[in-house]
Amino acid sequence: MAEKPEPVKVLYCPTCSLPAEYCEFGSDFEKCKPWLIKNAPELYPDLLKEADEKEAERVSEQLHSVGISSIGADGSASSVQSGETSSSKQEEVKRLPGGKIKKKVRQEVVIEKVVRNKRKSITIIKGLELFGIKLSDASKKLGKKFATGASVVKGPTEKEQIDVQGDIAYDIVEFITETWPDVPETAIYFIEDGKKVPAA
Amino acid sequence: MFKKFSSDEVSSQNQVKASVQRKIRQSIADEYPGLEPVLDDLLPKKSPLIVVKCQNHLNLVVVNNVPLFFNIRDGPYMPTLRLLHQYPNIMKKLQVDRGAIKFVLSGANIMCPGLTSPGGALDDEVDAETPVAIMAEGKQHALAIGFTKMSAKDIKTINKGIGVDNMHYLNDGLWKMERLD
Ligand SMILES: [Zn+2]
Repeated sequence: MAEKPEPVKVLYCPTCSLPAEYCEFGSDFEKCKPWLIKNAPELYPDLLKEADEKEAERVSEQLHSVGISSIGADGSASSVQSGETSSSKQEEVKRLPGGKIKKKVRQEVVIEKVVRNKRKSITIIKGLELFGIKLSDASKKLGKKFATGASVVKGPTEKEQIDVQGDIAYDIVEFITETWPDVPETAIYFIEDGKKVPAA
Repeated sequence: MFKKFSSDEVSSQNQVKASVQRKIRQSIADEYPGLEPVLDDLLPKKSPLIVVKCQNHLNLVVVNNVPLFFNIRDGPYMPTLRLLHQYPNIMKKLQVDRGAIKFVLSGANIMCPGLTSPGGALDDEVDAETPVAIMAEGKQHALAIGFTKMSAKDIKTINKGIGVDNMHYLNDGLWKMERLD
């Protein structure tokens, strides 16, 4: 007998009940928008632009840590390299106003690549919020930068994380350190084959 | 068909006899071989299978209060869209162009040009009088269940009039009846 097919999980909109991609054809697209921006931004890139324009960028000043993990079937995240010196970044960090570096919670970003459905991979980024970065903003920036879908989701431990569609592990470190100078490269880690590996 | 459908149109609900249950199972397995491996999960032999008879010779196959299939008179069973979304490859697919989406979602039957235009797509092997999934340009999930009036070849060559009857579509009465309590 044929292999048992896994049921496809479809993202239905709680407002109009349709699959999220059909909200634009629903009876009241406006009402669906707030949920879509949070949960299916990759389907409606224009909505993000709208939201970005409205929401003046808030620079967060608190310091915390970010993590990136990569459980690739092929372990390909090892290709991530970043030539920048981390020391200068850290000094910058220390100079930030109100940025206490006391590490009660270890501030780190963990990046993990997860392969779903054989071909599709997702890069999960955890910990950006520990650096005072607003995850919804970060998710939008990541989606734009890598021209892909990115969304903030609750991770298994109830902590929020960012899921980015596709394997973007190759230049995510550079992007993070450039976009958020508060995050030192030394605080970024990959998860490769279940092991935590420093990105720097 | 389900444009104004609601539970008011239910005329009877009956748990069917084991022999009828077997027959329904068999015709679903014959129509959708891709569903066979999960048929035991969908229509567990031990759970009662309810056939809900509605107006206009419409029948719904309901398990645990969830409508899973429907048919007309003795016609072929067709999955509800929620079920098709879970197992998208059990039916042949026809694709309408983006311009046709809003018409399909208002219940209109599917016109040939919406399938033959650059945004449309047809599987040549589809015969007339076949249940099909109606997909849409740029969308991942089906928006309707159709029943072909012409073969795909005829849709291409004739390219006029209604090619597929729209049986069930997103947001129609059956879609809204997620459960039947
Ligand atoms: Zn919606």
